[in-house]
This record gives sequence, structure tokens and C-alpha cells, in this order.
Amino acid sequence: MKPDLDCREALDLLQDFLRQELTPEVEATVTRHLAGCRHCFRHGEFERNFFEALERAVGRDRCPDTVRERILAGLRGGPPSA
Amino acid sequence: MVSPEERTASFEREALPHLDMLYRVARRLTGDLTRAEDLVQDTMLKAFRAWDRFESGTNARGWLLTILRNTFINDYRRARRTPVTVDLELAEPHRIHQTVAESDPEGEFFRRVVDERVVAAIDGLPEEFREVLVLSDVEGLPYAEIAAMLEVPLGTVKSRLFRARRQLQAELYEHAVEAGIVRPKEPIP
Repeated sequence: MKPDLDCREALDLLQDFLRQELTPEVEATVTRHLAGCRHCFRHGEFERNFFEALERAVGRDRCPDTVRERILAGLRGGPPSA
Repeated sequence: MVSPEERTASFEREALPHLDMLYRVARRLTGDLTRAEDLVQDTMLKAFRAWDRFESGTNARGWLLTILRNTFINDYRRARRTPVTVDLELAEPHRIHQTVAESDPEGEFFRRVVDERVVAAIDGLPEEFREVLVLSDVEGLPYAEIAAMLEVPLGTVKSRLFRARRQLQAELYEHAVEAGIVRPKEPIP
């Protein structure tokens, strides 16, 4: 088992932790630290709220139907020339 | 030989599900609705013409994004805007959280900043930062996949992401203070 993290180490790993970019071993050390440290847990919520704001603001846009239809028409317009 | 009908069908099955993602990335790269629409259409039709070179069952998302990015660089990117003088070299990595540690330690203010402000903050980032932020934090691509696509070291992706996030957090915090969503640490003189 990896040694325990101090707060500084845990904070520096928080964003990668939330983006699920850590190895399972390191992820476990962060999980363990957060479970026992209210300050870092709250900082984790801070980062989570930040990521959710990005997702909410720009992550739900959909390609307009008119563009989708133009593309479909292009695909079915016959065999490609190139 | 694959019939044209089968070819179209396999493209629609494997490539088309990525259309919304491509559109979102195009939207942030171009910063413009019409240009984003044209870019995504050009990308899809280019991809369709090259579809025989794509190995079915491999990473269609990465392949399509690469075509989108190359098309953007070659045909859509305007003369580089004057570099924005954003402060991407702030010394303290956790500055914003420290600023709100007493009043809003869990960053509730992020939930109350209006979407338009978030969009404007993202679009205000320099392109190389905006690109990795959208690919990672909006579209959920793994860092390694982004590094491979951009042909830059993994450490470069991580450092751009880190700076982009820090810049956005600082801007969103400023908006939140202006909008009265969060109490500033120091009283405004």
C-alpha cells in the first residue's frame, strides 16, 4: 500500500483524481485522504463544482438538425468522387 | 468490395454518433456558430471520403477529431488573434480555493455563475489551452489520447490543463464577486 498523502500532495492530485486519471493505487491514497480530511474533501467539492459548471455550460450543445441533414444528404449523394 | 450502401451504412453507424461531440469542439475552436457548422460538415464529408482508410472498430472518435483539427488549422483558423495577456503564470496553484475557503469552501458559486459567463471565459482562453480543456474537461478524453492527437508530451497536456483551469476559476470567481454571488475576501475600496 502506498504511504499516506499529506494535504499538499492530496490537493495537487485532486483534479486528476476527479478526471479519473490516476492509477488505482494512487487513487486509493486520495480516497483515503479525503475520507479523513474535511478541508481537502471540501476542496474536492470545489473542483467538482467547477468541472460541472463547464459541463453544464458547453457540454450539452447538440449539432443542429439542419447541419445533420446536410451531412446525411452529402453521404447519400452517391459514391464519393475521391 | 464493399458496396456504396454498406459503406454509407457503416459510416453512419460508427462515425455519425460522434457528430454532437465534433460540433461542440468545432464550436469552441472557431468561436462562431456558422463556421462551426461548416467545419463539422467539411470534417464529416472528408472523413466519409477517407472512410476506406479507417479501420473499422478502432478509435473513430480520435480519428474524426484529428480530421476536424487538421481541417480547422488548414482552412478555418484566422490569423492568430493578438495573444491575450492572461496571467497563466500565477504562482499559487490553489489561490482561488484559498480565497473562498471561509465563505464558500465547496465552491457553490460555480453552480450559480450563468452559463454565458462560463462560455465567455472558455472562449477567452488562448487556443492551445482552450483546445485541451474542451477535449479533456468537456468531452472527457483521457490525457494520453489528447497528447497523442496533438502530438505533444503528456506533461504538456497536463500543464496546459492545469493553467487553463486555474485561469477559468479565477475569472469565474471574479464574475461571481461582481454578480454578488460570493462575498469578496477583501472589501472593495
